[in-house]
Amino acid sequence: MSSVIVCPSCDLAHRVGVAPASKGTRCARCRAPLQRPEIGNIDTAIALSLCALVLFFLSNAYPLVTIQVNGTTRATTLLGAALGIYSQGHAGLAALVFLTTVVGPFLQITSLLYLLLPLRHAREAPGQNTIFRLLAQVRPWTFVEVFMLGVLVALVRLSAYALVVPGVALWSCGLLMLTLAALTSRTTPGQFWSWVERSRA
Amino acid sequence: MKALPTGRSLGLLVCMQCRATVRALQVAYPRCPRCYAHLYQRKPHSLALTAALLICAAILYIPANLLPVMYTRTIFDDEEDTIMSGVLVLLHSSWPIAVLVFIASIVVPLLKILSLGVVVFSAWRRSPRYRTQRSELFRMVEFIGRWSMLDVYAISMLVALVQIRSLAFVSVGWGALAFAAVVVLTTFAARTFDERLLWETPP
Repeated sequence: MSSVIVCPSCDLAHRVGVAPASKGTRCARCRAPLQRPEIGNIDTAIALSLCALVLFFLSNAYPLVTIQVNGTTRATTLLGAALGIYSQGHAGLAALVFLTTVVGPFLQITSLLYLLLPLRHAREAPGQNTIFRLLAQVRPWTFVEVFMLGVLVALVRLSAYALVVPGVALWSCGLLMLTLAALTSRTTPGQFWSWVERSRA
Repeated sequence: MKALPTGRSLGLLVCMQCRATVRALQVAYPRCPRCYAHLYQRKPHSLALTAALLICAAILYIPANLLPVMYTRTIFDDEEDTIMSGVLVLLHSSWPIAVLVFIASIVVPLLKILSLGVVVFSAWRRSPRYRTQRSELFRMVEFIGRWSMLDVYAISMLVALVQIRSLAFVSVGWGALAFAAVVVLTTFAARTFDERLLWETPP
């Protein structure tokens, strides 16, 4: 028996075999990824989420960088980046920085844990569909990797004038970036819903 | 040429949320049986919304590049930086970083606005040429667009760190806000655009 799937990028219908593809398949017409190979299982995803949660707290609890100029020391945290802009009256810009660097990652990690932990025991979390839709909305607004590079650019600019000391949060933020990348590629919508269907079966 | 079987011709819908392929039912507001998201044959008002967001982004791209993004006040002098002058300052300390910032903040947004413009215009014309390439261009643009936020984050760090009142003081300029608005608007423009419109049969 074979079933039909429709490419979300060009609407072309494909007939697929019942065996899950070990390698990913692409649309025959527009080359968009059609089926992704399964990498890792729920346990891997939960482990990565917990790891990301710890790294997220470290990134927020410790200073990102400290600078020293003429005996004066100044440090900032992840939250400080948004607060600095807010204190200068640019609330909109501060909100955007806050959403993309703090709220985005936090919602992504916690909503995944909320969905995956019950699913591991073949149960569905209350409000699963709503939470999943929230996750899908938040995901494109998580800019941790861009933020990391932005911090490096700022440090390069400052290094000519001040002594720059990287803080604990800089390292944990770097690791958070890698963990989130691994987590996102392992919890694609297709992957998540195939776990849900398997638990329903 | 024989028409290829599509979701539309077979009466199938694909859920944009969970990517399930489902049979289209004749109801007013169909929802996905798997994840309960709304189902559409095509995203509603896709071309008009994308074009509108894109025009706003193109207009804001001008103040984003002309207005200062950052003011620096030191005991010696006052300075204001636009994106471009910031790149030139970086060129003295580290040229690879300067090239990176130039690409991320000036080239990427411009390319994103232009490519989305091309994609929307050709989808509106239902142009049959280079469909695969346009489809791939769209997906690439969607992927790299986020990197334009680079300079906004760099400025946010400088603002947070350089507040040493007696020595130096950095504040945000309106250019940074225009710049962030370009990123947000183009991200929404890419999200409202329905790629399947590139594959519609010509009239």
